Amino acid sequence: MGRTARRAPSGLSSRLAALAEVVLIADGRLSESTVTPARMLVERAGARLALGPHLTVVALAGGTGSGKSSLFNALAEVDLATTGVRRPTTSAAQACVWGSDPADELLEWVGATQRHRLGDGSAGELDGLVLLDLPDHDSTAVAHQLEVNRLVELVDVLVWVLDPQKYADAAVHDTYLRPLAGHSAVLVVVLNQIDLLDVAARESCLADVGRLVAQDGLRDVPVIATSTRTGAGVADLRQLLAVRVAAKHAAVLRLEADVDRTAIAFAAAGDQGAIPKSDSTPARSVSKQGKQDLVRALASAAGADVVVDAVVRDHRRQAAGMTGWPFTTWLRKLRPDPLRRLHLSPSQPVESSRSSLPAASPVQLARVTNATNAASDSVTSQLPQPWPRLVRRAAGSREADLPDVLDRAVAGTQLTSGRRPAWWSVVRLLQRALGAAALIGVLWLALLFVFSYFRLPEPPTPKVREIPWPTLLLLGGVLLGWLVAVISRYVARAAAARRGRRARRALDERIAAIADEAILAPMMAEVEVYQAFRAALSRTVRS
Amino acid sequence: MQTPQSSLVDALVELRAAAVGMRLGLPIDGAPAAVATQHELVGQIDDYLLPRLRQLDAPLLMVVGGSTGAGKSTLVNSLVGAAVSAAGVLRPTTRAPVLVCNPGDVDWFTGDRVLPGLPRSTGAQGGHHALHVVPHPQVPQGLALLDAPDIDSVVTENRELSRQLLAAADLWLFVTTAARYADAVPWDLLHAARARSTALAVVLNRAPPGSGPEVSAHLREMLQDNGLGDSSLFVVDESVLDERGMLADASIAPVRGWMNTLGADAEARAAVVRGTLVGALDSIPQRVNTLANAAEAQRSAAAALLAEAHAAYARARDEVDEGVTSGALLRGEVLARWQDFVGTGEFMRSLESRIGVLRDRLRAAFSGRPPAGTELKAALESSVESLVRAAADRAADRTYESWSASAAGRALVGSGAAHLARASTTLPAAVEREVRAWQGHVLELVSQEGAGKRTAARFLSYSVNAAGLAVMVTVFAHTGGLTGGEVAVAGGTSALGQKLLEAVFGDQAVRALAESARTDLLARVESVLAAERERFDERAIAAVAGADAAAQLRAAGALVGAARRGAFAASRP
Repeated sequence: MGRTARRAPSGLSSRLAALAEVVLIADGRLSESTVTPARMLVERAGARLALGPHLTVVALAGGTGSGKSSLFNALAEVDLATTGVRRPTTSAAQACVWGSDPADELLEWVGATQRHRLGDGSAGELDGLVLLDLPDHDSTAVAHQLEVNRLVELVDVLVWVLDPQKYADAAVHDTYLRPLAGHSAVLVVVLNQIDLLDVAARESCLADVGRLVAQDGLRDVPVIATSTRTGAGVADLRQLLAVRVAAKHAAVLRLEADVDRTAIAFAAAGDQGAIPKSDSTPARSVSKQGKQDLVRALASAAGADVVVDAVVRDHRRQAAGMTGWPFTTWLRKLRPDPLRRLHLSPSQPVESSRSSLPAASPVQLARVTNATNAASDSVTSQLPQPWPRLVRRAAGSREADLPDVLDRAVAGTQLTSGRRPAWWSVVRLLQRALGAAALIGVLWLALLFVFSYFRLPEPPTPKVREIPWPTLLLLGGVLLGWLVAVISRYVARAAAARRGRRARRALDERIAAIADEAILAPMMAEVEVYQAFRAALSRTVRS
Repeated sequence: MQTPQSSLVDALVELRAAAVGMRLGLPIDGAPAAVATQHELVGQIDDYLLPRLRQLDAPLLMVVGGSTGAGKSTLVNSLVGAAVSAAGVLRPTTRAPVLVCNPGDVDWFTGDRVLPGLPRSTGAQGGHHALHVVPHPQVPQGLALLDAPDIDSVVTENRELSRQLLAAADLWLFVTTAARYADAVPWDLLHAARARSTALAVVLNRAPPGSGPEVSAHLREMLQDNGLGDSSLFVVDESVLDERGMLADASIAPVRGWMNTLGADAEARAAVVRGTLVGALDSIPQRVNTLANAAEAQRSAAAALLAEAHAAYARARDEVDEGVTSGALLRGEVLARWQDFVGTGEFMRSLESRIGVLRDRLRAAFSGRPPAGTELKAALESSVESLVRAAADRAADRTYESWSASAAGRALVGSGAAHLARASTTLPAAVEREVRAWQGHVLELVSQEGAGKRTAARFLSYSVNAAGLAVMVTVFAHTGGLTGGEVAVAGGTSALGQKLLEAVFGDQAVRALAESARTDLLARVESVLAAERERFDERAIAAVAGADAAAQLRAAGALVGAARRGAFAASRP
């Protein structure tokens, strides 16, 4: 095998790799009509480059009766293709290969069934040329047009054969040449049958062809006048093809032009305007205010207010239990424990257990949705369609899980330290002492009462400034106990409020983490996907 | 008494009016073809059928049509024997149509009898799109030759104009060449000619010397295969033009002979005119049917899109309904405000109407805060607004998504309509307005109910205002959505509110009040959502024809058919 497997130049292969990346990202995100041609191009490019990029596949295309087959024969210098006056003459693509490389796989890929080979001897300057004679694209035979449409995408160089009658046909310009506007390097236009025109007409006709081709957006496309009847211009065309064949990069030029066109199609599909040369602008992140709104909405949906309220009341209840008047505290035990009722254990959180918090209401969930949308919109205001919608969707992707995630978070948050303040014990001791004093006072007074009831001699009762001790003990114990309880309640109320704030902070932290993880992270991931898309797209542009 | 002709003219005018206003804006299958049919039909009625029916004895219009570079102008010049139309090698050569007729017939063509849309020019060659009328004695009287622009060049106006001219012809002289005769574009037009039974003659120009018979045999074969076998076929060999740019007399003799024969024979001309006219009239039912079917297909495509939008917004309404009726609106801000309201004893106080109002005002004046009742109203507003906005956003996104999935929908929400994917910016204001109106409605309900009851006297001592508020809260609590822990957390106070209300109105009345208030709120939400949906609806409706357009068109078509049978009953071969 004489094939020299050359690699594509790194410029093209890196652009193709970038395009493959673009396709991967765009798949399922952008419209199928944009993605499919790009995917096909990536596949086609891989196939074509594997099949000998040094070979040059040239196709003669044109309308019926323009003389493609005659030109094919003139270039091959052998009558290979049937020519004739019955239209359309050629119905299947014919191939002719110059040189030592049989190019069988390439021809297989192109789908040319009728092949001719011009061996080493007669190859000469055209060694490495694969010439295809296409069927017409404008006759009543629809199959021909389909075959042309397929091959026009595959070949490396398109020689468009026009003739003085047909050169201004809409079928050529609107259907084929205009869509190939970026493919100047790939195209050659031939005005055949110039023997039908006199010299002056020939000049103006050639100029008119040039004008129309330029109007199609094709600049610097060579226009060659030929006549297969007189042989005029065939040598020029041959020479031009020889140069293209010798350069051995026609396949690469073709694919580069294709990548250009695809990149532009992508840019146009998303109203992105011009394709960025490089994209270094960092992603805009959600503003502090936006995140706060989101956390507030989530906290409300998680029932944080209810929980904080329960924490505050629980603390007060416990404080009252410890520091209250010992004779009435047992009554408090009959009241429900606010945290236990929510099935929360504040100091030893168990994330796996479901709390008994009321489920988030539709209003609360709606607020979460609105805050999520607002956050997403604030990030995507500069993005082209359809990205804002994609980012919104990504931000809301875990919406359905949110109630459960939030509940776990609340159940798993350490709301309080669980430690009881030291002063509670001191106060409790004090309360017990005061209680004991009051009790002693009562018993002492009772004893005195018994003594006096039975008319026994009263035992001496010590006095403090005329007030007997037992009375002092009783009244002092009760009054001071009550006073301590009241003071403690106020102190505990302040402490409870502090604990409530602490619990609120802990919950907010936890919920902010959820906002990051379940909403902002997927959202920013999508924004990053967009940036990767932009970056990859900018790498598909010719550097 | 109307003649058959004039009733046919009237029917055609009506058909034209029905066809011209037909909107076919959705890019569904067959839409481009239907639009083309529409243009063709309207054009043919204007340019051909109406003028021809009004004056059956006008000269026969023979339009010379064909591909660019086929040599139409050269042929016309050679037939006339004078350079009436510019010929050349640059394509497309002819841009303005040239009409050549006998000097005696000029008056037929200088007015706007035929082709009313085209300006006329005489004298020097006119500008684009002006019909250049050239009198020449070589043309037989009763016959006019029209050199049309090409049918297939890059110049779009040429292609459109040539089709318009061909539709106005009594007779087509179709010029093709040896290189062209198998092209797809001319054959499409020839098929159209056959479909309308237009009189047709074909000239095979530029036949290469020697192979003329082979090519003409193939062309005749193709004509026969396509049902055009009885058209005349003339072969003109490729030859060097003489110094005036004319074809040699010998090569065009058959064409000229045929033309002169036709010119001399008034009856033959009349038969050609009649044949083409009747053919065109007979093709109308089918075209009307195509057009009406297309209009119906468009309507059903639009209806499918509308159904998608309606489904999405119906879901949004259900979401809001659920949010309102589950009683959950009570929670969150509403609950907090309500507890403020009840917990501070303000409810009790404001029930004592005068004192309550006075106290509210004093409190507002000293603290700068609105009375608690006002805050409660604000909370209700923002709750309903949150619900409606989230639901409307979701519905807009869903509709946008499902419309984007089909080609027809994509055309409607394509570029520049990205804002449709979310709720409109006026939504919050609309919701606020509706909620306020609803609150007003609830207060009215309460006062009506109060006035009609036996408890009226008792009720009058209470504040209508506070009772109304309590009804609003009851709406959200009444449906029994409060369960379990929620009752413990939230229920106590709203139950108190309900008890108070029941004391005032009686249990049954409160239930009815709450239900009526809820229904009213939902109706208002629905109207807000309908306004949101309208953004989609109007696009779909604007793109397609009205509901009875297709039926009108069919009726007009049937009228034309009936009038045609009246006018040309015996003429059908």
